[in-house]
Amino acid sequence: MAILIKNFKSNFVSLVPLILLFFITLNGMSTVDLNFFTVNIHFILVYYFALRKPELLGNGFIFLSGIITDVIHGLPIGTTALTLLVVAGAASYVRVVTVRISLFTDWISFIPTLLLASLTYYFVLNFSDYSIDYIYLLKNSIFTLIFYPILWILISALLNLLGESN
Amino acid sequence: MDTSREDFGIAVRSAFLRKGTKQRFSLFVLSIISILLLFFDSMESKPISFVRSFVKDTIYRGSLIVSSPINGFSYVSKGIVNHFQLYSKHSELEKDYKILKNSISKSEFLELENIQLRKLIDEQTSSSNNYTSSRVMLDKQSPYLNSFIINSGSNKEIKNGMAALDGANFIGRIIDVNFFSSRVLLVTDLNSKIAVITEPSGNHAILSGHNNKPITLDYLPENHLISNGDKVYTSGKEGIFSPGIPIGEVKIVKKKINVSLFSELTQITFVNIDLGAPREKK
Repeated sequence: MAILIKNFKSNFVSLVPLILLFFITLNGMSTVDLNFFTVNIHFILVYYFALRKPELLGNGFIFLSGIITDVIHGLPIGTTALTLLVVAGAASYVRVVTVRISLFTDWISFIPTLLLASLTYYFVLNFSDYSIDYIYLLKNSIFTLIFYPILWILISALLNLLGESN
Repeated sequence: MDTSREDFGIAVRSAFLRKGTKQRFSLFVLSIISILLLFFDSMESKPISFVRSFVKDTIYRGSLIVSSPINGFSYVSKGIVNHFQLYSKHSELEKDYKILKNSISKSEFLELENIQLRKLIDEQTSSSNNYTSSRVMLDKQSPYLNSFIINSGSNKEIKNGMAALDGANFIGRIIDVNFFSSRVLLVTDLNSKIAVITEPSGNHAILSGHNNKPITLDYLPENHLISNGDKVYTSGKEGIFSPGIPIGEVKIVKKKINVSLFSELTQITFVNIDLGAPREKK
């Protein structure tokens, strides 16, 4: 019985990132808009798990969630998928070159990642004849960066609570 | 210097080409698939459109199911708030009722007079509109596209470019049609440009959306006579929409000509699609 409970707990913990990712994707909550604040939770989740727990969030799922986001938000299919893969790629690169990971190093390396992701968005939407609000994109990137430590702490706390050590 | 460049190359290769633990696909392969999907998305062919429609319909239905608990919660919370506001609303409605009761007799007289006058000028009073009604299925506020999904598609003969109306008021146009769903691009979107005419000033203009900012009238003549409260209608000049569909009224703020819509876009549940408006090129 104890082994069964332990297995169930371990399986559930490994599914938490996936549940979180597809919950925000299918609910169309990738970007949370609160009056002036606009935060891209999708980027933060993908970056966090690709950097810290890549074994919990497969690249295929990241790609799939990007495709679903594109369909729900009416963007050309592949736009968000490509952007999220860029975010995951940047996180993997940081993981490879960084010896000791801390919130501060994560946060600093998130700046070029967001720049790359926004550039990808810009290029893809520009080639697809979509007009986008650049000020909004900039605002979104800035607030996503500011909000990153808060979500970092929340996700770390959640994983600790569920028994997944950092 | 060479060593650092080599290190960078190794790190990039390791990040993008190598499959990590428990990873089935490398980031590089998935990025290539994304680029191919973007390429296919811009192509127009029957098999691709068929697959695209099927995928989109499936995702819309899935999203509808997954978001139902959140929608349910929001419905319940709105209900609770409405319940607490019941007394104040009741008082307001009582006042409105008294005012309306007085004006009903007046409006009935005017209506009768109107019908008689129409008969006199032999005007056709019957409507020739060819609408199909649809329900708003998904209204996800996208930061990049002000749009929503309705539950009718090619099954109800909806086509790209058709006008979407809230009652009789113009709110947007169809931009993507699947089998059982379609996407309506709202007039507030950055990509929305509609040919309009103002009344009574009679100026032609382009109604441009700006996402979260107010809608504006662009390309007006220099000596226009537009004033506050002028009504804005579709002009039908682009040959897509029927002329004379009401959109909103002019509100001049700091010399900027904004348009306030007749419909509240966040409160729309049902939309009418004007099936008769488009003239398809064959």
